[in-house]
Parts: sequence; structure tokens; C-alpha cells
Amino acid sequence: MKENNDISQELLEIIERYINGSMTSQELKDFNQLLELDKDFKIKVEDIKTMLYGIETQALKEQLDTFHKDIPKTEVKKSKYKKVRYLNLSKIAAAAAIIIAVGSIWFFSTPKNDKLYTNYFKPDPGLPTTMSSTDNFDFYDAMVNYKHGDYQIAIDKWKVLQERKPENDTLNYFLGVAHLANKSVSDAIPFLERSIEAEDSFVFLDDAYYYLGLAYLKEGNTELAKKNLSISNTKTSKEIISKLKK
Amino acid sequence: MGKLLHLLNQSELVSAIKSNESDVLKHFYTTNYKKVEFLILKNSGSIDHAKDIYQEAFITVWTHVKNDKFIPSNDTALQGYLYQIAKNKWMDVLRSKSFKSTKSLNNNILSFIKDEDNSEDLDLVNDKLKIAMLAFKNLGQPCKQLLTTFYFDKKSLKEIASELNIEETTARNKKYRCMKKLRDMALAPNN
Repeated sequence: MKENNDISQELLEIIERYINGSMTSQELKDFNQLLELDKDFKIKVEDIKTMLYGIETQALKEQLDTFHKDIPKTEVKKSKYKKVRYLNLSKIAAAAAIIIAVGSIWFFSTPKNDKLYTNYFKPDPGLPTTMSSTDNFDFYDAMVNYKHGDYQIAIDKWKVLQERKPENDTLNYFLGVAHLANKSVSDAIPFLERSIEAEDSFVFLDDAYYYLGLAYLKEGNTELAKKNLSISNTKTSKEIISKLKK
Repeated sequence: MGKLLHLLNQSELVSAIKSNESDVLKHFYTTNYKKVEFLILKNSGSIDHAKDIYQEAFITVWTHVKNDKFIPSNDTALQGYLYQIAKNKWMDVLRSKSFKSTKSLNNNILSFIKDEDNSEDLDLVNDKLKIAMLAFKNLGQPCKQLLTTFYFDKKSLKEIASELNIEETTARNKKYRCMKKLRDMALAPNN
């Protein structure tokens, strides 16, 4: 191959003229004769031909990339559009994942409890008030307020009584329930906790556990809610527990 | 040029392609791309595939025109031929094992397919041609520019000389030295 490389300027130009067809008929005749006679010369000519074709092809190849940049803008838009759509898809997927995650947190924790709480919380109807029992006048006076829905007034009145008799289960129970009805769950819990410390004979024991359970439910403490509700022997608490398990 | 490019008839187009008239080539290239892209995108290809396949097809058509392998028979014959070649090339890619076994194509695989495709391509099968192309690709810019103007743009030495503001004989000698350099590079494959 090495000797093939030695080619004079004149010979190169003659071969080029042969390749691009600019020879006179006499020249072409002589040239073809030489090609037939000299195999090495033929190879040399073929090599030059390939070389020139290589130059052209490579030059064209490089031009095509330049051409490509000028392809009508609709095409560019189209490719951008594709990209955008692709990006959007992944964005949508990410958004969907976040929505599902947040949604399931919402669904499985507090809000569900909230829903259960609002569905099941009804203020304790309270005790029938009679004018006869003068002993507990203050207590029943507050009960009237409680029944009227004036929970804050009832709480204030009962609190005075409760300070005198902190261990009174009934007082603690109604204070807790009144706080719940008054939508201050965190205030309700301590009173209800105290009320469930009562003896088993306490009339409101089941209800106390029930309301305590509900209070914890509202607070988002599902475990304590379940625990207290399960102690409470009422139909509704069983219902709530079964719904919490879902 | 002066001519309205879209009014070129097929024989004018063929002769313009043969002489590498840049704006004709460009027009021919840009106006036929869309259809090929549409075809490839519709058939599990990407924008990159479309560009690669289209360029290969374009070079094939150009080669066939140059070598009189293709003589147009109607008004849109060349455009149809380009589309058909691109389509066949894309079908080959789709049928190739490396494409089938890969669901997501990255660039490595793409270039692999390209190489595979090139080696099957009758027009590019010649190793010597590949070497010549590579050598020219890596040739220094002044020589590359000169040889492109002479062999691709088909400008005369006289025109080149006046553009470069040099004597015609200087241009002629430069051209010869550049060719020698290119041949040296092509014959020493490691460079």
C-alpha cells in the first residue's frame, strides 16, 4: 500500500479528470488502455476514486446536520411538544403519587377519625332536672344550662362544684362531656380520665369510656380511642371499633 | 440559483444533486424529512432515530443519483425513493435483534444499530470508504475547507484562488498537499 501513496501532482490531476469525466476522447482511450495493462495503476485509480467519494460523502454528512437545524419550525415545535408532554407525564405521575400518599394519610388517620367522631358524637342528653332536689341545686342549675346548649355556663358552674368535690365521678363525667360538646376536646380528656376511675357501679362508666374513646379519636390517637371504646360496653362503641379496623 | 426550488423538475433536481448544489440539497433534505419522521415516530422510533435513519437514507439516495443507479420516472419519483429507502432502513432496524431485545433505546444501542446497518449497506460496505471518510473528518480545518470547496462544491481552482486571495498555482499546490496529507492519514489507520 505504501507505494500507492506516492503519486505525483500531474498523475493525481489526470486521475481526477478521468473520474469527473472531463477527459478528451483520445485521453480516455489511452487511460483505459493503461488501466487494462497495469493492475497496480487500476488499484491506484480505484483508491483515488474512493478517496474523492469519501471526501464528498463526509462533506455531505456534515452538511446534513446543518440542514437539519433549519427544518421548518413546526418540526421543532413538534419535538418540543413531545418533550413537554413527556415531562408532563412524569410530573403528572409525581403529582398523582403525592396525591395518593397524602390522600391515604388523610384517609387512614385523623380525618377518618374526625369523620367517625362527627358521625358518632352526640352530647350526653344530661339528667332530668326536677325542682325538688334542693341538695344539688347548683348541679341541676348547671344541668339546665347544659341542656340548653349553654355549655360554657354549665362548665363554669360545675367547675365551682368540682373544686369542692374533685373526686365526684358524676361531676367529672359531665364536665368532660360538656367540654366535648363545647368542642374543646383537650379539656374534656382529663375530666373523662378521672371519671373512668370510678367504681364499677358508676352509672355512667360505659358512657365515660365511650366519650373518652371519642375524645381520643378526635385527637387522632386511634390506639387510646380503640382501647377506651372497647372497654365501653355499648353498641355504638363496638360499631366505631369495627369501622376503625376497616 | 435564482430558480424557484420547488419548481425544479426531476431531471433538474438530479443534475443539481449530482453537482452538490447546496441550496437544492438543503431544500430536498428539509422538505422530505417530516414524512419520514412521522413514519418512524408512529413505529416505535424516536426523534433521534428519525434523524439518523433519514440522513442515512439521504446519503444513499445521493449516492444512487450520483452513480446513475436511480433514474426518476415521474414528478415525485426522487422524493418517493427517499421515503422508501428510509422506510426500508427503519424496517431493518425494527427487525434487528438488538432493537427487539431492548425496550428502551439509549444512544449506545442506537449507534450500535447504526454501525450494524452501515455494514449491511451496499453503498457504505467498503472499508476503504469508511477510512477515507474518517480521515477526512479528522483532517485539519484549512485542508478540509479547501478540499470541500473543490471536490464537494465543485468550484474551480480559479474561483478558490480568488476567494482566498492567492495565486491559482498556489491553490493548486495547496490542494495537492492536502490530498497527500489525507492519503497519509487514510493509509495509517491508527492516526
